[in-house]
Amino acid sequence: MLEELSLLKTIALSELTTAASPADLEAIRVKTLGKKGSLTQILRGLGQMNDAQRATLGAMANAFKEEFAQTLANRMEHLKQAELDTRLQREWVDVTLPGRPRTTGTLHPVTRAQNEIIAIFTAMGFPPASGPEVESDWYNFAALNIPPDHPAREMHDTFYLPPDPEGHKRLLRTHTSPVQIRVMKGCQPPLRAIAPGKVFRCDSDITHTPMFHQVEGFMVDEGVHFGQLKGLLEAFLVEFFERPLPVRFRPSFFPFTEPSAEVDMGCLFCHGQGCRVCKRTGWLEVLGCGLIHPNVLANVGIDRERYTGFAFGMGVERLAMLKYGFPDLRALFDNDIRFLSRYA
Amino acid sequence: MKITLDWLRDHIDTELDPATIGAKLTMAGLELDALIRLDQGLEKVQVGLLETVQPHPNADRLTVCRVKVGPETLEIVCGAKNHRPGDKVAVARVGANLPNGLEIQLGKIRGVTSHGMLCSLKELGLAAESDGVLILDPATPDGLAIADALGKNDVVLELGITPNRGDCLGVRGVARELAALTARPLLPLEATPVPVTVPEAIAPVRLEDPLGCPRYAGRIIRGVQVGPSPAWLKNRLEAVGLRTINNVVDITNYLLLDLNQPLHAFDLNRLALPVVVRRAQAGETLRTLDGIERTLTDTMTVIADQQRTLALAGIMGGEESGVTEITTDLFLEAAYFEPIGIARTGRRLELVSESRHRFERGTDPEALPQVMERATRLILELAGGQAGPITVLDGHTWTPPQALTYRPERVNRMGGIDLTPAAMNTFLTALGCRVEPDSGKDSRFAVTTPSWRHDLKLEEDLLEEILRLHGYDRIPTTLPRVPASPPTPDPVRRLADRVRTLLVGQGYQEAIDYAFVSPAIQRCFNPEATPLALINPLSEEQSVLRTDLIAGLMESAQRNLNRGNLRLRLFETGRVFLNQADGTLAERERLAGVITGPADELSPHAPARGVDFFDLKGDLESLLSTLTGALPQFTPGGPSFLHPMRKAQLSTADGTPLGWMGQLHPHAMAQLELRKEVQLFELDLEALPARPPARVSESATSRFPGIQSDFTFLMPERTPAGAVIQEILAVDPTLIRRVQVTAIYTGTGVPEGHKSLTLSLLLQADDRTLTDAESKSLSERVIACADTRFGATMRQ
Repeated sequence: MLEELSLLKTIALSELTTAASPADLEAIRVKTLGKKGSLTQILRGLGQMNDAQRATLGAMANAFKEEFAQTLANRMEHLKQAELDTRLQREWVDVTLPGRPRTTGTLHPVTRAQNEIIAIFTAMGFPPASGPEVESDWYNFAALNIPPDHPAREMHDTFYLPPDPEGHKRLLRTHTSPVQIRVMKGCQPPLRAIAPGKVFRCDSDITHTPMFHQVEGFMVDEGVHFGQLKGLLEAFLVEFFERPLPVRFRPSFFPFTEPSAEVDMGCLFCHGQGCRVCKRTGWLEVLGCGLIHPNVLANVGIDRERYTGFAFGMGVERLAMLKYGFPDLRALFDNDIRFLSRYA
Repeated sequence: MKITLDWLRDHIDTELDPATIGAKLTMAGLELDALIRLDQGLEKVQVGLLETVQPHPNADRLTVCRVKVGPETLEIVCGAKNHRPGDKVAVARVGANLPNGLEIQLGKIRGVTSHGMLCSLKELGLAAESDGVLILDPATPDGLAIADALGKNDVVLELGITPNRGDCLGVRGVARELAALTARPLLPLEATPVPVTVPEAIAPVRLEDPLGCPRYAGRIIRGVQVGPSPAWLKNRLEAVGLRTINNVVDITNYLLLDLNQPLHAFDLNRLALPVVVRRAQAGETLRTLDGIERTLTDTMTVIADQQRTLALAGIMGGEESGVTEITTDLFLEAAYFEPIGIARTGRRLELVSESRHRFERGTDPEALPQVMERATRLILELAGGQAGPITVLDGHTWTPPQALTYRPERVNRMGGIDLTPAAMNTFLTALGCRVEPDSGKDSRFAVTTPSWRHDLKLEEDLLEEILRLHGYDRIPTTLPRVPASPPTPDPVRRLADRVRTLLVGQGYQEAIDYAFVSPAIQRCFNPEATPLALINPLSEEQSVLRTDLIAGLMESAQRNLNRGNLRLRLFETGRVFLNQADGTLAERERLAGVITGPADELSPHAPARGVDFFDLKGDLESLLSTLTGALPQFTPGGPSFLHPMRKAQLSTADGTPLGWMGQLHPHAMAQLELRKEVQLFELDLEALPARPPARVSESATSRFPGIQSDFTFLMPERTPAGAVIQEILAVDPTLIRRVQVTAIYTGTGVPEGHKSLTLSLLLQADDRTLTDAESKSLSERVIACADTRFGATMRQ
């Protein structure tokens, strides 16, 4: 009987380890341990044995059952893993194929540059303000110390519109400086704002489009001085172009500032050595600025003795061209999606 | 304005090289635009003596010349015919790079080696056309650089002069700046009066417009000989880009450039004296020197004689009184005309001249006698003649000089600098100001501005002068002290910003179009509107202010499609300009978009399909529900350029119109020559309701399970699904949480003219798990509602 059990064990365990599927394993279990299984057959003879024999055989049978169960579980685990492996192998995909197309859009490069400018000035305490694009002569010119027939008006090629019902001259604003006037009028210092927006001049060639974008800014308070204007604009340029840059202030003329300055920065393309972009000067003109003309303060009812202010203005297209490096201004409002995608 | 280095040195002793001078002027406000060496391209061109001229052995039309150039003798092949042995010629040596771009190389011409080229004036860049090679004065020594021989060795500085600095429109004005910047003296102006040799030749003048002409000077010069100008004068004028005419006219032009004072010379014998300075009569005409007949108004000042109008004062002379080759006697005019009047006249007549440019910026009235003397001296020297006495008439007083006070302390405070009053006074004095301590107050100074500086009117103007001469770059840099302040609301800008971000996330590309469009495209998209037209448009294509964004955006779309960019998702935000009934103008911030072409980029993952109405609608639903917290209403209808069955008007829940969307009508497609379907929309951003403050409601997060319940109805095909959903939601607004359309089917099994519509309902309560009975009863009510409202039956 012991021999029988021993033989059974050898056969059963061997069958388990070579079983090819969970179903085979189950068949082996039934055949071996089931009610009519081989072990049951063997143990039927247990009744004719003495105690000692019975104990020995019983212990052997239990050990066998345990080993059988363990082997079966191992084999089952192995087979399941093999089955999963096979399935996973069948689920191959070509990971080098492109994903499902999800196109992200693009901001217009002018908007992008304008947003960057607004973000920098907002962080420095100059929030954006808006005003109308169709303006009166007073806001666009007279309030800004540009009287009729002043030669400075020739710097602004103005688009005119028919007069309003009250007979006031209307025009497309030639700069966003009228927003300064709107913010200052009726308010008392301290005042600070920037005015981003579209402006219009009747001029069209390689370097001019009849519509473009400006950001102007100003500050009025007690004790505002030229050194602060320099500091603010230098900080802005370094932040916008994301690199340290030489910046220089050069005397110039604007009717609404006195003293006035043009701001140049070291050429980005030749690092001051002189190239085609900077017309061999090593400098790029990027901003105009100055202390607000006392006549302008007087025009909006601000005490010109007590308060001083500065103002500055920049062309967004020019800054965008320099930063993103696109060659032709006119492509900007053509809206060719290849251009829009490239400079986004 | 152009000046030359040599000319500048007539007025100031300076050893500085032109680049340094340019840099100093630039940093003082006179920007150097260009530095041009006149000998550019002439570096390897020298004077040569033609020793022999032999026929070319292999060519009839060529000659072989032996040319002595200093110590060397060169053999040169030449194709010209006008050269003879003994002539002095211009020899371009091997390596020369001539102004016309020609590079001289050693080369064989028909078998004979040529060691250079004999040049014509044209080849030297000195004339537009020329015949044969240039033959020089026989006295010119050979070997001399041609630039020296022809007086082309000067350097031209081109300066940008801002409108406030009219005083720098003359060489002397620039020299004065340089003198102040380099602490060198300005050389005295030589203006000793010439001897009056015909004292009886008094220039008779009547000054009848003292406001328009505050000062007028005239002088008669008899017996002049009009002829060509000498080389030095021609060279200077040509160097700065002026054409030489004759000695007398050239002298007046020369002084305009030198001293910034326009002069006019009349032919005395063509005048009926006296000369009268008066207002023009309204409607009178004058043919100016440019050959154009001008109609004048009574605000304009003219120079006239007893018979006719001679000149438009300070702007341009008339055709019939100017100096010609046969002129012998002159009436020379130098005047100070009132700047605003000149500007107004010049602008009204659209007449640009060097003279107008200077008078409208303000010239120096006190310099008139000196300029007159300088001009007379030059005329007597170069054209001969006898001078009469100068007549000077003063009309109205002119504005400068002005008496100003300035406070050094304030200048330091506003400039952010720390200069002593003495240093400031030195700067002002160098510019020609007279500075004295203000009586009784030692903290301020009285300044009298010079007569040539019309721009110095305020203390701030003196501040600029001081900062300028001190150097802007020497002002210490600091940051402004900015107090914290509450953010200023700019809701429309914020909304537009958010719209851009969201649409970009949805794959849209932002376009920016011109705010003016062609009337034709404007009519195409908004025939009812009357747009505001520009008075002075650049072109018909950009002549009216847009009343809609879609017109310009469709033009951008069209351009893209014509270029083969077939998959488009474009949008724009911006202002439109709406003429109101009362004649005023309203500006509104709008949003428009266009989509066309494949829904996706080509891909192996999904079949290609074109975008349709529902792509756009989905985009707008997503955008608007994010922005406003609610879906808008879509009602059939919309503008006539859209497909009549595929357009919708958008409005808020309370009925406020927001805009429209839809597919472009085939008529409009034909008009725009489009072949592919296009979906488009436009919304009024300012009409969008603000999103209510975020608050999580209990119903959105019920913790009791919901029941998904599906219904498939048969109903007439054109029953709007939107209405069905509305009605079913209304059956029990509390328990029916959501109704979704999950399938629409027509075809086999569905009767003609009907559709099968599958709806998926979510039934859920906040306070309990719904019982089977409740759910069953709800279902029955939904079915009953569909039946009574839409004649719908449950499909089995």
